[in-house]
Amino acid sequence: MKILKTIAFGLLLGASTLASASTIEMDVSGLVCAFCAQGIEKTLKHFPATQAVFVSLEDRIVAVQLKDGSDIDDATLRKAITDAGYTIVAINRTDESLDAIRSRVSAKAHAHG
Amino acid sequence: MQTRKCLAALCLLGALLPAAAIAKPIAFAKGKAVMAEYGADTMNEVQFFYAPKYWWSGGAGWLELKSEDVDKQRHIAYVRANLLAKRWNLPAAQANVFVWGGLGRATGNDFDGSTLARNAGFQTDYETRRVYASFRSDLQESDHFSHRIDTLQLGWSPYAHDYETLATWFVVQERRYSGDLFDGTETALLVRFFKGGTWVEVGATTDGKLQAMAMLNF
Repeated sequence: MKILKTIAFGLLLGASTLASASTIEMDVSGLVCAFCAQGIEKTLKHFPATQAVFVSLEDRIVAVQLKDGSDIDDATLRKAITDAGYTIVAINRTDESLDAIRSRVSAKAHAHG
Repeated sequence: MQTRKCLAALCLLGALLPAAAIAKPIAFAKGKAVMAEYGADTMNEVQFFYAPKYWWSGGAGWLELKSEDVDKQRHIAYVRANLLAKRWNLPAAQANVFVWGGLGRATGNDFDGSTLARNAGFQTDYETRRVYASFRSDLQESDHFSHRIDTLQLGWSPYAHDYETLATWFVVQERRYSGDLFDGTETALLVRFFKGGTWVEVGATTDGKLQAMAMLNF
């Protein structure tokens, strides 16, 4: 019985590790002013599925890190960006973490000097 | 002698005009904006706006106009609605057309009692992360006064700010007063900083008068 419980616990632990949060990266037009773009971050943070939001004016992207097992459908995302006054160009789903996207954008900015 | 008196009166009227720095009248959806401005000792203004949607906001403000010798003063308390008439979202730029209108109550020491005041205007702007251009026309009128102020702003940023960094802009402002106003162009040089929801702007006219503005979006 003890062995079964241990195996079951181990399987559950492994499953939770495998089910990592995913990220949605959106290309957005009109992103030129941080003061005005705050509305995008505020809107996206209201979604229960949102873990964190990253906005880059340099790359013209808005990235949303999702909570484990959660998702936001494309139609909802398009409406959120449009209702914030911006135009969405593309939506891409990736396993790349928000920190990785942040590092990628930062490295690119430094490379351009 | 009469010509001199006439010119003096016109100069006085010109000095009453607001020297407002310019920002967008609507920040973002479900956002609140508070603004306070000091304009070359001839104008003070505070405003509060709420934007239920990204394309309109409503709110109230209070405007004080003073002549240079403080001999003439006007106080206008008003409510106003702003509308984003058109926006172009481009890959690396944004352009906008705003219109607004409002009503208020004005008092002044050059007329008795209070009077209904009307306000209408428009603004068009274009910006990238490095250059900014805007033109604004604002009409304030009542049965006792009518002022139209046309303002052109050209801005340049020494670096392209990002979402989490401080933005710095150098702005040249040209303002003309028309209607029954003093003919002339007022030039001001401004430095603008913003980060997050905080915006501050400070500068001076070319005759050495201070202009400052602070705005908070939340």
